[in-house]
Amino acid sequence: MPRERVADRVTVVAIDEKALARHGQWPWPRDRVADLVSRIASGRPAVIGLDVFFPEPDRYSPQAVASRLESRVPEIAARLRELPSNDALLGEALARAPAVLGVAGLEAKDARFAGPPRSPPVRYLEGAGEELRRYPGHLRNVPEIEKGAAGHGLISVDLEGGVVRRVPMAARFDEATVPALAVEMLRVALDAPLTIAPAAGGTIELRFGEYAVPAQPDGKAYVRYGHSAPGKFVSAADLLDGTQDPAGLEGQLVLVGFTGLGLVDVVTTPLGETVFGVENHAQALEAILEGRFLRRVALAPRIEAALLVAFGLALFVLVPRTNATRSAALLGAGVVLLVAGAAVAFRAFGLLFDPVAPALGAAAVFGVMQAGSLAEAQRQRQQLREQAARMAGELDAAKRIQMGLLPDPAEVLADERRVDVAALLEPARTVGGDFYDCFMLDDRRLFIVVADVSGKGLPASLFMASVKSIIKSAALTVEGSVGGVLARAQDEIHRENPESLFVTALAAVLDLESGGIEYANAGHEPAWSHQPRGQPERLDASGGPPLCVLDTYAYPTTARTLARGEWLLALSDGATEAMNARKEFFGAERLRTSLAWLGDEPAAQAIVERVRDDVRRFSGEAEPADDLTLLAIRWNGPQAAVSAR
Amino acid sequence: MALPARRYANALVIGVTGRLDQDNCDAFRADLMAHVETAAHDGGAVILDLSALEYVSSAGLRCFMLASRQAKAQHGRIFVAALQAMVAEIFEISHFNLVFQVFPTVREALAAASNEAAAAFDKA
Repeated sequence: MPRERVADRVTVVAIDEKALARHGQWPWPRDRVADLVSRIASGRPAVIGLDVFFPEPDRYSPQAVASRLESRVPEIAARLRELPSNDALLGEALARAPAVLGVAGLEAKDARFAGPPRSPPVRYLEGAGEELRRYPGHLRNVPEIEKGAAGHGLISVDLEGGVVRRVPMAARFDEATVPALAVEMLRVALDAPLTIAPAAGGTIELRFGEYAVPAQPDGKAYVRYGHSAPGKFVSAADLLDGTQDPAGLEGQLVLVGFTGLGLVDVVTTPLGETVFGVENHAQALEAILEGRFLRRVALAPRIEAALLVAFGLALFVLVPRTNATRSAALLGAGVVLLVAGAAVAFRAFGLLFDPVAPALGAAAVFGVMQAGSLAEAQRQRQQLREQAARMAGELDAAKRIQMGLLPDPAEVLADERRVDVAALLEPARTVGGDFYDCFMLDDRRLFIVVADVSGKGLPASLFMASVKSIIKSAALTVEGSVGGVLARAQDEIHRENPESLFVTALAAVLDLESGGIEYANAGHEPAWSHQPRGQPERLDASGGPPLCVLDTYAYPTTARTLARGEWLLALSDGATEAMNARKEFFGAERLRTSLAWLGDEPAAQAIVERVRDDVRRFSGEAEPADDLTLLAIRWNGPQAAVSAR
Repeated sequence: MALPARRYANALVIGVTGRLDQDNCDAFRADLMAHVETAAHDGGAVILDLSALEYVSSAGLRCFMLASRQAKAQHGRIFVAALQAMVAEIFEISHFNLVFQVFPTVREALAAASNEAAAAFDKA
């Protein structure tokens, strides 16, 4: 945002290509410079500032010529010596108008200029100016010229990155404080004393007359540059040959300097324009006249740091609480806000803030945070995967335990023709605790049990394993009724049941010779029976509660005799309580129908498969909620009868 | 599975709705236990009104069993009343009527709890 150049009180008298073409190469004889100054002075400018140096005596001065003619034409040399020197002529010309000469700072002392440069008296307030740029040496003009000067101004600039960003408004040479050429020109024009005072935000101010020039503690100021304006330039050639009326310079602040391309005095402004050095002073003058400077308060770096910390902290807090898209938007909004804030400060208050460092810093914080939360998210996903794998592993282990314990009736009863037994257990995904067992107690008594452990997963499976072996051991050791076996088993299970699980069980003992069957029911789904040429019948639900619901219970035993070819089906509630998608249960009546469709004397395997298929067809897509266990047993008659067939 | 409780004198009637199974039985038990504790403290009874309970799984039964044990330990009483056919059958098969006293209606369960409770129910 360049400054509009509105002040029209500054004119540059340019020693340009035209002037060099007409009056010869630089350095000109100083009487010609004196002529130029005189012509400018005749226009009654407010002040003349020379951005031109005359550090050594003019070699075209009559005295210099005289010393070279001394041996050959002594009389002419003597005449010449009577003439005033060119330097003295320039000094006189300068004295006709308020004029300010340049002083340049040097990093080393120059033997010709040992003492401090001439400087106006400066009053310091409250230690301001202590940190002004200090030059050990300097370059100034020969004393004869200086005699005519009303003031001396600094014409040095320090390039920062090859660009004049900050123009020194004052610098120190030992005890002397030299204000910038622009400051000194204006001060001389106003004939006002100079004061350097502290200003807001740790900055300083150069005060003279009604003007106050803000500067950094080192004396440099951020000049708000305007675009180069060629209209402000007057060619020295036109003034010298009278084509330009010096009256146009009345009241102007006139700067004399080079714009000839053969003379290297070129600098680059922050607007990216390459301008002649003299224009730099002109811009500084205009800035002072308009009071338009850019301020970078001493607190600015701290404010920028605070912004960075605040922005960073905000991201630190907010990023983990929102998703990546939103936090990126947050970052974008923050950066826009910073840049807009800096732009507003620049436009409205001429304050310089650097939004880039906080924005980049916040972006870095954002990046680290994102990387962090990405890593965190990945870690969590990994954990979930591992957890799922563990769960699946546990369920698999539970199923393996459950299935591995189940006997294959065909193996247990190999070569047994008095009875046909088939069993099936389809574990559900989450709940698993069903089991069945069948084994011979002796050479004619078959023990069968179907049971369901409450609970799920590995604990239920381990409990089921223990219950299964306890029941088997009770069946093998208890003499007497099946009810007694269940009662004994309950006592045993109670001892190792920290989870207060319970077991429903239907146990039976079938005498393969007589067909006599005894059964006892501990809270389990009743079995079904079917006699040849009969209808399926649900056995009565007499019995007791599941094992381990009550501390002790004498389970009753029911006895009956099977007809030859009669079959029984024991099952778990996974069959009757199987649900379809409409949350209806398979139920006893559907089971009855299913069983009724089996023909006379079906194979045990056919019975379990038929029921399994009907239940699955009923459930459809619905995932089974519970294990499905079926055990069918068909009595074929005693050994002799079977053999006789 | 909400447990709206109604008080009749020293008896708390708790409605159990929907399905009681593996998924919700832990929450149910925690709620129920708080009520059982209150009732036991008052020397009263908790009556489970199962008229809106459609199904109870074996996990749900275990829940009832544990509640019953805890009530016994605290000298509290739990009655169940107004069972739907499905739940009644489950209770019958599993012989849980040996675990709880089962009543056809809430009114009868209240009468078993105390005369005051039945009177309060009649007034309400």
